[in-house]
Amino acid sequence: MTSVPVAAADAASAEPSGTKIGPVIIAFVAGTAVSIGLGVYGRLHTPTGYAVNIAGFSSGPAAKAALASVAMAFGVVQIVTALGIYGRIPLRGAWVSPVHRWSGRLAVLISVPVVVHCLYALGFQSYDGRVVTHSLFGCFFYGAFVFKMLILTRDDSPKWALPLAGGLVLTGLTALWMTAVGYFLVA
Amino acid sequence: MKHRSPLVTLAAVAAAFLIMFIVNMLVSPPGGSAGEPASPPAAPSSTEPAQQTTSAVATPSATASESTEDKSFPNKIVYAGRTEDKSGAIAVAVLGDQAAAYFCDGRSIESWLRGTVQGRDISLRSKDGTTAQARLDGDHLKGTLKIKNERLKFEINGAKKPAGLYRARGSKTTIGWIVLKDGSQVGVQTAGTNSTAAPELNPESPQVTANGESLDAKPINGDEDL
Repeated sequence: MTSVPVAAADAASAEPSGTKIGPVIIAFVAGTAVSIGLGVYGRLHTPTGYAVNIAGFSSGPAAKAALASVAMAFGVVQIVTALGIYGRIPLRGAWVSPVHRWSGRLAVLISVPVVVHCLYALGFQSYDGRVVTHSLFGCFFYGAFVFKMLILTRDDSPKWALPLAGGLVLTGLTALWMTAVGYFLVA
Repeated sequence: MKHRSPLVTLAAVAAAFLIMFIVNMLVSPPGGSAGEPASPPAAPSSTEPAQQTTSAVATPSATASESTEDKSFPNKIVYAGRTEDKSGAIAVAVLGDQAAAYFCDGRSIESWLRGTVQGRDISLRSKDGTTAQARLDGDHLKGTLKIKNERLKFEINGAKKPAGLYRARGSKTTIGWIVLKDGSQVGVQTAGTNSTAAPELNPESPQVTANGESLDAKPINGDEDL
C-alpha cells in the first residue's frame, strides 16, 4: 500500500477514530433520491418510442449495446485498478489512480446517451423480469454513482464506505449490461 | 480535506444528461408533429368524439363479394391478445365489413383505430396516424400495428365474453380496456392529454368511476364511432 495515491489512500487508511458517518448518510440519501427520481420520471413520463439515433450504428439497439459494452469494459478497468489501489493485486504506479478516475468518468459519460434513450424513449417498464430488473438497476446505478462521487469528496468517511460505493456502482453496471447487452447478444 | 473533482465529475455527467435530454426533446420524430415531440403519442385520438375515418382509409372495392368467400371473418367477432413483444395489448372488433381496434400498454399509451374489412384483410387507422394491418390466418388474426416509429407485431385469437374490448366515455374521460382470455386486463384512461392506467373493470357490472364521473363501460362491436 506504499504507492497508494492521494484520495483513495486517505479513504483506505483512515482510522475509525477520525471518521464521520454523517456525510456518508447524506451521500446515501442523495444517491437514493436520484434513484427514486429517475424511477419516478421513467414511470410517469410517457415513453416516446423514439430518440435521437447515434450515427454510425446499424440500429438504435446496436448503438446502445456498443456504448454499454464500452462502459462495461471501463467498468472492468475500474475494478482492476481499484484492487490495485487497495493493494489486493500487485498493480502499482502513479498511473493506476488517474486511470481509475478517468476510466470511471468515461464509463459514466458514455452511459449517458444510453440511459437518456432508455428513459426518454422507453421509460421504466415492468412487463417481464428482465425488463423490470434492468429498469430497477438503471435507477440504482446512477444513485450509486452519486453516492460514490459524494463520498469521494471527503477523506473522513469510514474506510468501508468507498469500496462499498464502488462495489454498488459496478454491481449496477454489470447487472445493466447483462440484462440488456447480454440479452441483445443472445436474442 | 475535501476534494472538488468528484463534484466536477458529477456536474459534468449531469450536464451531459441534460444536454442529451434537450437534444432529444428538440428533435422531433420523422413524421411526427414538430414542436411537441414529448406529447403522449395517442392521447388526442380519444379525447373528442370523432367521425368515422373509414372513408379516408377504405379503398372503395367490391367488399361484399369478397367477404362472402370461404375463410372470411364471422359476421361479429372480437380478437384480443398481447403484442408479440408483450409491450401492450391489442383488440380488434369486427362487425360485418366494419372494424374497430384498440391498442394500449396499460400505462399511458393508447390508440383507437377504425377501419374496414376486405375479405381476409383489415386495415385500420387512428386519427393521429397510428395504423394497423391484419389478416385472418385460420382462426386467429395476424398483423402489425405501426404506432409512432414502432412496429408491433401481433397474433391474436377470438375473445369470448367476458374477454373482449370495452370502452367508457364521460365528459372528461375516455377509458379503454382489453380483457384477455385469462381474465387479465390492460387498459388506459385519458382525460385531456393525460393518459394513465385504467381502473379495474368488472365486465359483469361494468361501471367505473374516473375523475369524479361514474361511467358505464360498453363492449365495442366494431361499428362504433370512436
